Formats: sequence, structure tokens, C-alpha cells
Amino acid sequence: MSEAPLIVEKLSFQYRTRPELAIENISFELRPGEMLLIAGSSGCGKTTLARCINGLIPRSYGGKRKGQVLINNKDVAEFPLAEVAQIVGTLLQDPERQIVASNVYNEIAFGPENLGLPSEEIVERIEMAMQRLKIGYLRERETFSLSGGEKQKVALAGVLAMKPSILLLDEPLSSLDPASAYEALDIFRSLADEGKTVLLIEHRVETAIAARPDRLMYMEDGQVKYMGPIKRLPKVIDHKKVKLPADWIVERVKRQKNPHIPLSRPEVKERGETMVSFENVAFRYSDENPFVLQNVNLEISHGDLIAVLGQNGAGKSTLVKHAIGLLKPTQGKVLVGGQDTRNMSVAHIANIIGFVFQSPSHMLYAPTVREELEFGPINLDFTKEQVHKTVTESMTTLNLNSLEEYPPLGLSFGQQKRTTIAAVLAMRTKIMVMDEPTSGQDYANYTHFMDTMCYPEVHDDSILSVNYAATLFITHDLDLAITYANRVLLVGEGTIVADGAPEDVLKDFKLLERCRIRPTSLLNLNLSLLPKTGGFMPAEDLAAFT
Amino acid sequence: MLATWKYRPRDTFIQSLDPRTRLIFLFCVIFGLSIPQIWDYRIIVPIFALSLTLYFIARIEWIDVRRAWIFIIVLVIFIVGLNALLSGRGGPPSVLQTQSPTLFEVQFYIPGTKLGFTVPITIIKLWFAIVQITRMLTMAILVIPIPYTMDPNIYGVAFRRMGVSDKISFAMDLAFRFLPTFARDFATTVDAQRARGYELETLKGGIAAKLRRLAPLIIPVVMQATVTGEDVIDAMDLRAFDTNKRTWIKELHYSSRDQIMLGLGVSIFVACCLLKWVFGIGGFFVPRFFFALFGY
Repeated sequence: MSEAPLIVEKLSFQYRTRPELAIENISFELRPGEMLLIAGSSGCGKTTLARCINGLIPRSYGGKRKGQVLINNKDVAEFPLAEVAQIVGTLLQDPERQIVASNVYNEIAFGPENLGLPSEEIVERIEMAMQRLKIGYLRERETFSLSGGEKQKVALAGVLAMKPSILLLDEPLSSLDPASAYEALDIFRSLADEGKTVLLIEHRVETAIAARPDRLMYMEDGQVKYMGPIKRLPKVIDHKKVKLPADWIVERVKRQKNPHIPLSRPEVKERGETMVSFENVAFRYSDENPFVLQNVNLEISHGDLIAVLGQNGAGKSTLVKHAIGLLKPTQGKVLVGGQDTRNMSVAHIANIIGFVFQSPSHMLYAPTVREELEFGPINLDFTKEQVHKTVTESMTTLNLNSLEEYPPLGLSFGQQKRTTIAAVLAMRTKIMVMDEPTSGQDYANYTHFMDTMCYPEVHDDSILSVNYAATLFITHDLDLAITYANRVLLVGEGTIVADGAPEDVLKDFKLLERCRIRPTSLLNLNLSLLPKTGGFMPAEDLAAFT
Repeated sequence: MLATWKYRPRDTFIQSLDPRTRLIFLFCVIFGLSIPQIWDYRIIVPIFALSLTLYFIARIEWIDVRRAWIFIIVLVIFIVGLNALLSGRGGPPSVLQTQSPTLFEVQFYIPGTKLGFTVPITIIKLWFAIVQITRMLTMAILVIPIPYTMDPNIYGVAFRRMGVSDKISFAMDLAFRFLPTFARDFATTVDAQRARGYELETLKGGIAAKLRRLAPLIIPVVMQATVTGEDVIDAMDLRAFDTNKRTWIKELHYSSRDQIMLGLGVSIFVACCLLKWVFGIGGFFVPRFFFALFGY
């Protein structure tokens, strides 16, 4: 009998509603204190594997399962869920989806209370979990008022209070700012060092390896393509599919037989006319609340491709909501096309600025993709011919032609995201604003999407530069700013703390630390090669300079 | 993730009460007025005054409850009040059976045709509308402060300590928080669609067309609610909800002021039942002064 607390043996699963296998013939064992990093693109079967291990399959998701998942030598399907929950603690991708109670103390207590433990033991476990994660100061806070990083820690404390011996962490970094993500990884490492078996599911391999996982499992199309030590990774995995450290990519590109042909960089044109300006803007939600934005002065001009960076809760979304008139400044003014937004309706501003919300589910409603795309132009009183023309062009641009008659709500997340961007593109506004355009998408999908949007293809112009005078996107991903932006705004403590070319703003590491942004390997490599390159570029392109 | 109501701790009599006391008092008033069918203004007005007093001593800021009051006023006056005034239904049969002087008539005709009907507004219907509105407001005044003055962390435990099952207690906890969550998702969806040039204020066409034009708001919000529901179920399953008899670590204790309020609540309920069923007092009638007001 094996001593491994988790054994997966020839596991396959097919959802009742799907014709193909979600995972196929997966086998591995994990020892106490071992950390396994599971990587792979969206739809590769990572989440299905997680559901098989935490018992949601077969209980909550119906389908055909073959093989077995042995927890302490007993198949997970034979345990009552209460018992599985005490052995396998699951941290979901988005802590907002995991938190059920309205304050921190009750949230951590929720699991042990469900187990029917005596009150004294529950209190002891809550204190232990809070102490372990150093979140005692949050105990009386309302859960919905926490920052992303705090929510993640509270969700983890709720899991630890169940005292599981196996931790299943499903994309736990996706909603965190870079500094919070690295703090979380430190915690995961120390939990493994204490003897817990940790499964870390994460497509951002570059970030996840900071937790020093013992092994990596790489999945594609429901199958395991690689299982082994991290150091062999650059040799076996395509760097276009998962995010690897920049120096690994450079090494790999140099070894390639076919030389890498760099994409043309977006041309940095001289900045033209000012289209949006913030003049001494301050904002608070009510007289009782503190200011969320203060002393903001900003001009968005023709030719700008701006990345807005900053920690969770810094005021990034509040800033862009002012530009589109959803919020009006408490003090100062915001001018769009020279007009004060206080005197403009949101619909009027929508003629000038198109805004893509972070979550497609807040926008999509129509029975078909075409009708979804027609919604904006019709609201803006386009003629029938104009509607037809802009919608058709937008679908072609975002490669949605084959999905024209599909219901948007039935599409994959990546396709939904493209639909929302096409919907805004069809409005033919002058400025495009995107809130976290890559959130919820895996590395391969989002780099393909951003390349398509930002990089020139056949002609000298990109989709963005052809269609928009200026583009602004909010992101947590520093590499996205390095790779695609020609201007960076650093937002911190409700104001703009730096504004300039990426090469100028991102070299100030003290400033980055203040804004809880952690330099990445791509930034370090770019900075070291800057005298040779003359500007920031993607890791593949840097290979020619090393 | 579920949001919560805009609760804030206040040093008030109302917030010093055990949550069970407040819920039981509320049920006593609602059941006291509804089960024995009290329509007598001499009973309703004192209870209304008591509810109003409790509301004011809760010291809730107007800005917090403004929207809730607009909703209640629209519901009570325009729906309940107009229904009572025009149809006279929804109350005791005597409203429709008793002859009463007509004050004026409301014409409901399709313009340019003779198709339609005339509704007489009688003194009895007018009084019934006033009484109906007062009854509803008496209950609403007690309900509105609850989410703003009751700690959201004790919704579930309050029901559990009243003897309700674990499952229903937690369902009540989630249900209480569903409305602010729905409001938050609705606000985000409105923002997202306004940014696409959608203007709620300029909905054109007839009722069917207007409803169709509401789809961009309704469909995303319903989808969000469904997804949130599924998320909550998964999160609860993963932490073993409803697999054992649950421990609720939060303790609740009655104080002497709770006992007084409970006594008052139970007295109202018992008094309403006794007055109606034993002494025959509490049924619907129009007081003389109301007839006199219109010269009858």
C-alpha cells in the first residue's frame, strides 16, 4: 500500500453534455510536502482534473469517469463530501466565487462550523488560520470590502481552517496584483514545507515557479504532455503556450532551427491633438467617504497606446470611468473632445470613447453575435447601411465570422471577450478603453489577441491604430505594458504617480515597489539590453541582441 | 460574491435588541393585523404610531433608505392604494357589498370610442384605500430598518436560534443578501450598456417594445444571478455544508429590554386576535367623521 496521500490512476472523464473526453488517462502520485505545478491552456482539462480530486466530480458534475483518484488509499468517490473537504482543501480561481459569509471571522468559521466541531475547537482553528496568514487585523472586516489580495488570503484561511492535508489551488493568482501574487506564492511554498501536499494549477508558469514547485505537469487537450522537473521545461514546452521567464524564451529561440522573425513594433508616432483631459480631478462617492481620486491631471492624445498599471484598489477603474462619463468628478473637470463631461450624457461620450468592461457577462445579451454587435451602432443612430458595414468589418477583424449566428452567452470566455471588443469596435469610436483585456484568458489566447490588436500586419498599421486615434488598457500584467504600450500610467493611492514612455517609467524600481508592481524577467532583460535595443520588446525579439 | 446591505453600527435602542426579538416583534405585528383581518382604524393607528416611533428611534440616515422608501411608496400608494380605491378588492367583502355615496367617477375609455367603463369612487372605497395603505405602511416601517440596522453576520444565526433548520437559516442569510447583490450587478450592467450608447430614459415604442428594449439589462443580470448561485453552491459543497449537524459559534442572548419588546409584540398579536374573535371589534367600517367630511 502506497504512502502517497494522493494517487491518480488512469483517470479519464467525459461530461454528460460533451462528446469528447475532458481528461484522458492521467496518472500521478504526490507525496506529503510535495508541490506539483499543473500548467496548460484554457480547456486543457486542468479544472476537470481538480474537480475529480476535490470530489465535485462525480457529485456535482455528471458524466462518465474511468480510473480512480485515491486519497489516503481510498477512492474519492467512496468518501462523503464532508470527509473529502477535510482532506482536500480547494482554493478557487476567483476568491469572490469562494467567499460565502459576510465578514472575515464568519467566513473562516464556515467550514469548521459545517463539520459540527465544538465551538472551542472552531475558535482555535480560526485563530490558527488567521495567525498563519497574518490576517488577524481583518477579523471584523466585511468580506466584500476587502482588496483582491486580502480576499484571496481570507479564502485560503477558510480552507486552512478545515485542516486539509492536500491543497488544491486553482489559478489562485489570476485576480491578484503582482505583489499580492508573490506574497501568495510564498505562503503556498511555506505550506508545502510544513508537509502539506500542494497542487498549484496556474498557466502563468513564470510567476508560479517563484513558489519553487518540485515538479511540473503540462497538459494539452486533456492529456499529460510533460511531467517532470521544472528545469527541463524550456526544452519541452512551447513558450507561446505558457508564460515562461524571458531568459528561457531567449535560450529557446536561439536554439530554434528556423530564425525568429520579429513582428513589427507599433510605430511610436508623435503625439497629436489632445482628445481627453483631466484637470485637477478629485472624486469621492459621497461626502462621508474618503477621496478615491485626487489631484489627477492627464491628457490622452492622438497616437497614445496607454497601459494603466497599479495595485488592486488604486483607482484605475475609477479613473477610466470618469473618461467615459459614468462617474463625474467631485472637484476639477474632465474634458472629452473639449467638452466638460458634466454637460454630456454617457451615450454622447459613447460616440467618442468605446469602453470594454472586464467581464463580458455584464454586456452580452443578444440572441446572436451579429445582433450583439448591432446594439451599439443602433443606439448611436447609425443608418442601416452603416450598421451592416461596421458590424461586418468588426466581425472580420475579430475573426468572428463563423460565429455570426451563435448566441454570445453560449461561447467560450475568450470568444465572449472578442465579441465584446468587436461590439465596441462596431461603434466606430475614436478612443478604445479596455479594462483588463486579458483577464480570464490563458497566455496563448491573450498574446494572440493582443498581437492581433496591437501589432501591424500586412500594412504598417494595426487594428487599433487603423480604427482608433488612441487606446488605453488597464492591466495587472507588467509584461503586457512592456510589450504593447507606448505610454505607461502608474496609478497609486488615488493619483497618477508616473506617466511616460515604458522605458522611462518602468526603470524606477522603487516607484514600482511603492505601487506593488514587481519587476518581471522580461523587464529586467529589456532594461539590461536597452542600450542595444533602444526600446522595450518581447522576449523572442530580444534573442537577436543577446 | 454576495454583497451586503449598507449596515452600520449605531448606539440605538433598536440595535441593542437581540435580532430574534426584532424578527418576532415584526411577525407579531404582521400576523396580528393579517390573521384576524384587522381593518379598524382605532387598532391600526396606534400600531402604526408605535411602528413609526421605532423607525425614528432607529436613527437611519435618509440617504441610506431613500431608494427603499421610493420603492415602498410606489408599491403601497400606486399599486395597493389605487387598487383599493378603484376596485375595492383585496380587503373585506363589505367594501363592495355596502352601498355608499359616490364622490366622483373615473372614466376608462379607449379614446375616440365608446369602449370602456366607468368606475365610481365611493366614500367607502376611499376609506378602504386609506386604511389599506396605513396597514401596509405599518408593516413596511418595521421591515425597512432591518437590513440597515441588523448586522448581516447574524441573519442566519438569528433564524437558527429561533429553531429553524440549518439549511433554511443559511438560505435566509443568503436571501437577505441577494437583493443588494442583484442591485450591484444591475448597476454594473447599466453602466456597461450605457457605455454602448444605451439610454434607459429614451425607451421608445409601446409596452412590448419597451420591454424588449429592457432585455440588454435584464438578461445579463439574470445570467449573473444564475452564475453567482452556482458559485455559492460549489463553494458551500467544497466546505461540507449540509453534511453534518452544524455548529453556530455565534451566541445570542435576550436582555430585559428584549423581554419587554417580546411582551409588547405578543400582546399586540393576542390583543388583535381577542378583539376580533372574542369581542367582534376590528372589522371594517367607515367612521362617521369621514362621512361628515364629505357632507354626508
